[in-house]
Amino acid sequence: MRKAAPAGPAVMNRPSLLTGLLLIGIGLAFFAWKVWGYDLPVVPDDPEGLWRVELVITVRGAGERGSVRAPLPSSGPGQIVYDEHSAADRLRFEIRREEGQRTGIWRGRLRDIHEISHGFQVQLSGARMEVPGGRVEGPPADILRLYGGPTPRFPADAPETFAVLESLSLPPPAEVTARLRSIFALVNHEIEDAEQASEDALIVLANREGSERGKAGLLVTLLRAAGIPARPVTGLWLQRGTPVTEASWAEAWVGDQWVPLSPSLNFFGRLPEELLVLHAGSFEGVTAVGAEAISYRYHALRERLSPEELAALMMPPNPLLQALSLYRLPVATQAALRALLLLPLGALFMAMFRNLVGLPTYGTFLPVLIAFALRDFPLALGLGLVTGVIGVGVLGRLVLERLRLLMVPRLSILMCMVVLAVTALALLGGTTENRNLFAGVLFPIVILTMLVERFSIVLAEEGTREALVRGLYSLVVVAAIYPVFQSRTAEHLMFGFPELVIAVMGWLVLIGAYTGYRVTDLVRFRAFGSRWREAS
Amino acid sequence: MSIARALREAGVLGINRRNASYTLRWNPRGLHPGVDDKLQTKRLCEQAGIPSPKLLAVARHHFELRELSRSLMRLEDFVLKPARGAMGNGILVVRGREGERFVGPGHRPLALDDLTYHAASIISGLYALAGQPDQAMVEERLRVHPTLAEIATDGVPDIRVIIYRGVPVMAMTRLPTRRSGGRANIHQGAVAAGIDLRTGRTAHAVLEGRAVARHPDSGHNLMGREIPGFAALLEIAVRAGDASQLGYVGVDLVLDANRGPVILEMNARPGLAIQLANRKGLLPRLDAVDAWWKPHRSLEERVAFGASLGASRAK
Repeated sequence: MRKAAPAGPAVMNRPSLLTGLLLIGIGLAFFAWKVWGYDLPVVPDDPEGLWRVELVITVRGAGERGSVRAPLPSSGPGQIVYDEHSAADRLRFEIRREEGQRTGIWRGRLRDIHEISHGFQVQLSGARMEVPGGRVEGPPADILRLYGGPTPRFPADAPETFAVLESLSLPPPAEVTARLRSIFALVNHEIEDAEQASEDALIVLANREGSERGKAGLLVTLLRAAGIPARPVTGLWLQRGTPVTEASWAEAWVGDQWVPLSPSLNFFGRLPEELLVLHAGSFEGVTAVGAEAISYRYHALRERLSPEELAALMMPPNPLLQALSLYRLPVATQAALRALLLLPLGALFMAMFRNLVGLPTYGTFLPVLIAFALRDFPLALGLGLVTGVIGVGVLGRLVLERLRLLMVPRLSILMCMVVLAVTALALLGGTTENRNLFAGVLFPIVILTMLVERFSIVLAEEGTREALVRGLYSLVVVAAIYPVFQSRTAEHLMFGFPELVIAVMGWLVLIGAYTGYRVTDLVRFRAFGSRWREAS
Repeated sequence: MSIARALREAGVLGINRRNASYTLRWNPRGLHPGVDDKLQTKRLCEQAGIPSPKLLAVARHHFELRELSRSLMRLEDFVLKPARGAMGNGILVVRGREGERFVGPGHRPLALDDLTYHAASIISGLYALAGQPDQAMVEERLRVHPTLAEIATDGVPDIRVIIYRGVPVMAMTRLPTRRSGGRANIHQGAVAAGIDLRTGRTAHAVLEGRAVARHPDSGHNLMGREIPGFAALLEIAVRAGDASQLGYVGVDLVLDANRGPVILEMNARPGLAIQLANRKGLLPRLDAVDAWWKPHRSLEERVAFGASLGASRAK
C-alpha cells in the first residue's frame, strides 16, 4: 500500500532556491565580467618581503687594466634571488662561483669613470635553523679546513682568545651547541656596540666594544679557537621605511648546517626576514684593483604595487565599473571598507556552522565578531587571550555573586575587570616586547564582557559541561572563521569585487531555505537509524 | 548518508524544517509574547477558563521587591520564576519552611534575602530570553499526581503535548532525576517518556538520548504507566493551544493531585526530542493533520483525530 518510495520532503522550496541561485548568478556574472572581460587580478599581487635591489658602483681609472669585484647573493634558506641584470659599462662581466658563493667580476681597462650596476629581485622570508642540543657530530674535514683555522683577520690562535675561552670554562668539545651558546652570550652581552669602534677582533676584545662587523669577527675568531668552524657573512638589511644598510654577522657549523648568529642584531639560529645574505665566508664588500677611486651604493625598493598602480589595475576602462569601483574612495575610507566587506563572508560561515552543522555557540554573531577582533593576532595567542580574559571574568563574577548586585552595575564591574585584564596583558606585552600582546589593548572589550555573562549563566543554569562544550564550539567556529578575516586574498576579493556580497546573500538564501537535516540532527536522532530494536 | 535516509524514512522532523515549515509559518511573531511571557499565558488561560497555577505575587520593578518579600514571608511553599524565562531557567521551587528559612531544591536552606536576590536577578533580565528586563512571579506549588510522582525524583514532572493546527500530534512526560537537579529538562538529564495518544500510556523512555526502561534513581518501571484522565488532559492542552492562536505549539501541563491537568506554560518553538521519546517522527502525523484539516472542526473531533494518529502509527 505504501507509495513506491518516500520521495522525502523537498529540501528547499522553489522560490527560495531560484532567488538564491539568481543572486549568486548576478554576483558571479558581474565578477566574471570584471575578471575575464577586463582582466582584473583576482589575487592580490603584493607578496610580502619582495624587494628590488640595485648595486651601483662608480670607478675611476687612469687607463690601467683592473677589475672590480662585488659579492652577489644566491638563493638559499630564507631568500630567492631572480631576475638579475647587469650593466657593465665597457667592462667584461663574469660571475665566479667559489665555495657556493658568487662574486661578480668586472674586468677591463679602467679609463675615466665607469658606472657599473647590478640589479636583482629577491624574495625574503627569513629562515629558522634547528640548533641540535646535546652532542653532535664533528664537522667534515673540508669545512674544518676552510673555516676552522686562524687567519690574520680571525686570529684564533692568539693567546688572548685562549685566555678568554679559559675564563668561560666551556662544556666539553662534543657539546657544540652549549659551547656555541656560551661564546655567543659572551660576545652578545659583554662587548658593547659602538658604531665607530674597531673591526679588529683582538682590539674589540681588549676594548670590550666593537662595531657590528668587529663583534661578528670576534665571534668567528673565538668560535674557531673553540674548535667550532665559523665564517663571517655580509649582507643587506632591508626594511621598509629605512635606507638599506650593509650588515655583518657570523655563521657557525653545527651538526650538518650553517647556523646564523649575530651578537649585534640579536639573532641566534634564525635569519630575520629583513636580512639578505650577500656573501658568506668573508667580510669583503665591493673592491677594485687598478682603479684610482671607487664608490658604491645599494638601493632597495620594496617591490609592491603602489596604491595608485593597484587602483589603476583595478579600474577597468569602463565608465560604469569605474564609477562603482571602491578604489576611487579616499584611502582611509578604503581601509574601513576593506574590513567591513569581510563581515559578510564571516556571516556566511557562521550561518553554515549554525544552520547546516548546528553547532551551539554563544550568541549569534559573537564568534564572527571575536574572529574579526582577533584579525591582528596570531590565532593561538588570540584564543588564549579570549580564554584567559573570560577566565578572569568568570572568577570575578563568582566573587561578585556574593555581593548580590543588580545586573547592570554588576555587568559594568565585570567590564572593568575585563578592561583591567586586557590592560595587564598590554603591560605584559610591553615588557616582554611582544607587540602582539600589546595590540590587545584594541580588543573589543564589550564583546568579552557579554561573553563572560553568557558563559556564567550557562555555567550556573546548565552546568559546567554544557558551558564548556558551548565555549569549545564557539572557539571552533572562531578558529574556522579566523582565516577568512586574515586572508589578504579574501580582502582583495571582497574589496575589489563587492558584487560578491550579492553572491554571498544568494548563498545565505539557500542556507536559510534549507530544510534538510543538520549534522547535529543526524547525531541526535541517530537512534532512529539502528538502535531502537534492542531496548524494547 | 544512511542515517539521513533512515531519519527521512521515519519522518523525523529536523530543526531547519521545524523552523521553516512549522514555527515560522504557523506562529507569527506577534503571537509569541502570549506564550513567551508566562503572565500573559496565564491571562490567556484565565480568559479561556483553562486551569493554570494560581498567581500569588508579581514584582515588575526593583522597588516592588520589598512588597514581594513581604508576600513570601506569609507563604509556606511556592514557585518563584521569571515570566519570560527560557528552558526552565531561573525557576526556584520552595517546598516548605523551617522556621525563618525556606527549603529550596535539594533541601537547601534559603534565607529570605536569597529569594529577594533571585527575584532581583530575574527582574534585571538575567534569565530572560533576550536579557530584557523581566518580571518575577510567584505561583502556587503544584502537588504532583501520585501516578507521576512515583516515577519522578525530587521535582515536578510535566507533560508536553505538541498541538499542530488544533490537533494533538505527540505527547511525552518529562520526569526529573537526581541528575537533572529536579528539573524537567531533558538536556539536563531528565527522563523523557513518550505517551501513546490513544491509550494515554507511557510507551518508551529515553535518558540523554538513550533508551531506558526504568527510572535511573528509583528503578521504577517507566513503561505502560497510564496517565490518569489523559483524554481530559489532551482536551485542555488543545484548548490552551487554541487560546494561544499558534499553529504549532508545545503545551506543558502538570497533573495536579487535586486540580487535575493545569497549564504550566506554552512554547512557540517546542523541542524535537519528543520524537526520540516516542520513537516516532513527527512529519507523518503533521502531514496527516494537513490532509485532514478543515475549518471549524470541533474540539472533540480534533482530540479524537489526534488519538487516532497515535493508533495508526502504533502497528
